[in-house]
Amino acid sequence: MAAEINKTDVDAIYGTVAKTIADALGCEVDEVKRDASLIDDLGAESIDFLDLVFRLERAFKVKIPRGKIVEDARGDLPEAEFEQKGVVTDAGLARLRTFLSEVPAERIAAPLKTADIPRLFTAETFAKLVIRAQREQGAA
Amino acid sequence: MALDGGLAGKVVVVTGGSRGIGRAIVELFAAEGADVTFFYQGNAKAAEEVLALAAENGWSVRASQVDVRDSEACRSAAEAVADRAGRIDILVNNAGVIRDNVLVGLEDQDIRTVLDVNVAGVFNVTRAVAPFMISKRAGKIVNLSSVSGAKGGRGQTNYAASKGAIDGLTRALAVELAPRRINVNAVAPGVIETEMSESVRELAGDEIKGRILMRRFGQPRDIANAVWFLSSSLADYMTGQVLYVDGGFKME
Repeated sequence: MAAEINKTDVDAIYGTVAKTIADALGCEVDEVKRDASLIDDLGAESIDFLDLVFRLERAFKVKIPRGKIVEDARGDLPEAEFEQKGVVTDAGLARLRTFLSEVPAERIAAPLKTADIPRLFTAETFAKLVIRAQREQGAA
Repeated sequence: MALDGGLAGKVVVVTGGSRGIGRAIVELFAAEGADVTFFYQGNAKAAEEVLALAAENGWSVRASQVDVRDSEACRSAAEAVADRAGRIDILVNNAGVIRDNVLVGLEDQDIRTVLDVNVAGVFNVTRAVAPFMISKRAGKIVNLSSVSGAKGGRGQTNYAASKGAIDGLTRALAVELAPRRINVNAVAPGVIETEMSESVRELAGDEIKGRILMRRFGQPRDIANAVWFLSSSLADYMTGQVLYVDGGFKME
């Protein structure tokens, strides 16, 4: 199991991540609040996430596979136990609450469609994504 | 008022740029002051000729040996251009091959090679380059189709299928990228005097000329001119189009 990502780790790169998000979404960097949903609060669309991940890869010189956040959140939980008919199960919600600890817990509530998981993602979610990619790259 | 397409200083990638139509595109864009990198698959001698011509004229032209069937090679070549120049403004997907034969005579390899280079190659290069355009919210992509995509000729089922695919890709990608202010169009040449069309011109030249309203084959420069237009700011309001540059080609 990978080491926990703590606040100091996130703080170290947060400035660059927030600026990258602002560049990708065409908004001001102060609008990128740490717990704001990129989709619901900042108006991001799916193509913006692709652009954002592409920019983060270049800014931090890391490789980030597409779909990595949900894949990591699910971890070793079999897909059938994580979601059923496109809706996240209770076990899946529990995984998401732990994995996306930066997202206010009340937002991770049933019923949650798997397609809506990206609506939970905040700036900090992407900071953590970068840190995991850096660690995996360092370990490889 | 003089027309200025605004291509000077633009960072351009042209695939299949060492010969034929691709070379004419490289020369025209470079002469206009663009910063051109062309990909070529294997003919180093042809690539060197283009580089020598560029050096003589003081053009900004670079060559990169890339097999467009290799998505990882496309990615690193695109990154190298963006790392050096800071961006990629224009992509011309020109690389293409033919393996003509009647359908029942086609070998597996004849089908696979044409589809891999002409279709998968466009996917590979475009996936590698488009993210840079999306980030800049600007760009022009021009794909080389063919009159064959809409008006198939005998012995060209594989090639016609590949170019029909390019027409579809062009329209669908135009939809995807319009919100990011990226124009995606195609140029569909008729029969152009290049090495690639040599055998077909030798075999059926007069018959084909009879079906061309202009009664002559096209020159690579005829196609380069259309690609230039679709890459320029003069075509800012065009997207998802296939522009036929075929001298008025009639189906049999």
